[in-house]
Amino acid sequence: MLQRDIFISEITNSLEKDKSIFFLSADFGAQALDTLRKRFPDNFLHCGISEQAMLDVAAGLALEGNKVFVYAMAPFLALRSIEQTKCGAGLMNLPICLLSVGVGLGYADAGPTHYTTEDFACFRSIVGSSIYTPADCLSTKLIAKQLLKKPKFAYVRLDRDALPNISPEITDSDLSKGFKIFGQASNDKIALISHGKMLHKCLGIHKDNPKNYVCVDILRSKPFPQDLPKEINPCKGIVAVDEQSPSGNLSSCIFEGFSEQNLFPKIISKSLPESYVFENGGREYLLNKYGLSSEDIVKACKKIV
Amino acid sequence: MKKINDLENLAKRYRRDLFEKLLILKQGHPGSIFSMMDIVVALYHGGFVSYDKQKKIFSDKVLISKGHATAALYPILRDFGILPKKEWDNWGLKNSLLRVFGNTSIPGIDVTSGSLGHCIGVGAGMALSFKKFNKNNKVFVIISEGELYEGSTWEALLLAKHYQLDNLKIIIDINSLIILGSTKECLNLDPIKEKILGLGIETLETDGHNLSDLISTFDKCEKNGKLSCVLAKTIKGKGSSIMENKKNWHYWNSMSDEEIQKTRKELA
Repeated sequence: MLQRDIFISEITNSLEKDKSIFFLSADFGAQALDTLRKRFPDNFLHCGISEQAMLDVAAGLALEGNKVFVYAMAPFLALRSIEQTKCGAGLMNLPICLLSVGVGLGYADAGPTHYTTEDFACFRSIVGSSIYTPADCLSTKLIAKQLLKKPKFAYVRLDRDALPNISPEITDSDLSKGFKIFGQASNDKIALISHGKMLHKCLGIHKDNPKNYVCVDILRSKPFPQDLPKEINPCKGIVAVDEQSPSGNLSSCIFEGFSEQNLFPKIISKSLPESYVFENGGREYLLNKYGLSSEDIVKACKKIV
Repeated sequence: MKKINDLENLAKRYRRDLFEKLLILKQGHPGSIFSMMDIVVALYHGGFVSYDKQKKIFSDKVLISKGHATAALYPILRDFGILPKKEWDNWGLKNSLLRVFGNTSIPGIDVTSGSLGHCIGVGAGMALSFKKFNKNNKVFVIISEGELYEGSTWEALLLAKHYQLDNLKIIIDINSLIILGSTKECLNLDPIKEKILGLGIETLETDGHNLSDLISTFDKCEKNGKLSCVLAKTIKGKGSSIMENKKNWHYWNSMSDEEIQKTRKELA
């Protein structure tokens, strides 16, 4: 099952009772979207391959009191229309939810035009945004339910791949807090903090060596989870793992979140390098080649004394 | 509806009121405000924007996509009693909600604008919502011709046409000037009419300073039951000989006492 199908199915279910929900697509599909379109054709708008107009139309719909979901491939939804997102959802504080599919190198081997390795930094900087990066379908479902119940300006970063379910599973309470810790934080452990696809690599490292590592799924990175710093602070250091470019990625977010609480842990950033990726080989190959293999992450942890 | 002569006098008075405010503020966009003043007077005082006297609200929407000229609405909203007189009086002197660019915290302003090329899309979203819920409200969007340089404008026009948004009326304020000079010299936009007609959108032309023409054009727009685009030929800085057709009067410029008196006289 894909995260996008889970999310869209939840929207379809809500449309049974709530006709003020609109789903806008910039020519991007999903199996579940076929169902939504068939059952609720009047609540679906094909906006053409026009992300900018789509976000403006979303603002108009939202100004009239509707709940709006806009949907497109991550690289284009994130960057092409970011000024429209700022001026609509941001400036006017409108309940527009952006469903961005294929973050990171999700579209391997399409090349850098189709990779989304900057969206996290970009959306963090838009005032008023909330950012979610689910690592499995169960947490995607919880996020969808929450945003349908309480619509707001949200940027949801969905993976293109079918990611395995996390165990133990994310609960509503985890989502409310914005994170879940796997393992018990202590001063002889390193905290691996990640989200989305990369969380699974971190979980694997933690499960292989629970004495040395705890793992944190930061599924809502903005607003920054206020309880996270104090719960992780006992650890001897943090490695933030993110399938993003080096500037403004998850490590910056963690540093800022901790420093606001006057906590300054050792933080190492593990991200993609400052270069565009043109090679073929598939996502896993590229992650391994560009410094995001499990071995690379463990190696980075060893820098924390 | 007021008589044409009354509308002309109102437009003149509003220009005068705004001139005095900009004099205090020493900022703003007089060229663009004066360019569209007659258009908004015709829309509001011509009765095209539906007004609920009891609720004191306009049920139709007016989106000023050229957000730098939104101030043209302030004296109108003041006179309709939607904008508290205190906010107008205090503007430039004490705390006031009014800003050089409009935003939704100002009573009667339907959109936060300023960045160009957004409001046909926003208006299309509103128009779609009205149609979906069988509401009779209309949406008027005023854009500058300079916004035809923005790709999002054309994206939104395509969408509006595809969804047959007959409750959406777009007015293009064509004063032929952008910041660096004439549109013809900077980057030619012509032929505008043919380009919009090419999208299959009903296109009407009018003199943007002739209240009688404006009223009859908006009347046609209202009755045609179609998505429509009005090309209003205007003069940047209309009403002040110092400002008219001057690109530098896009922004406020310092004025000598003599120039101030001359402008006051012309706007009187």
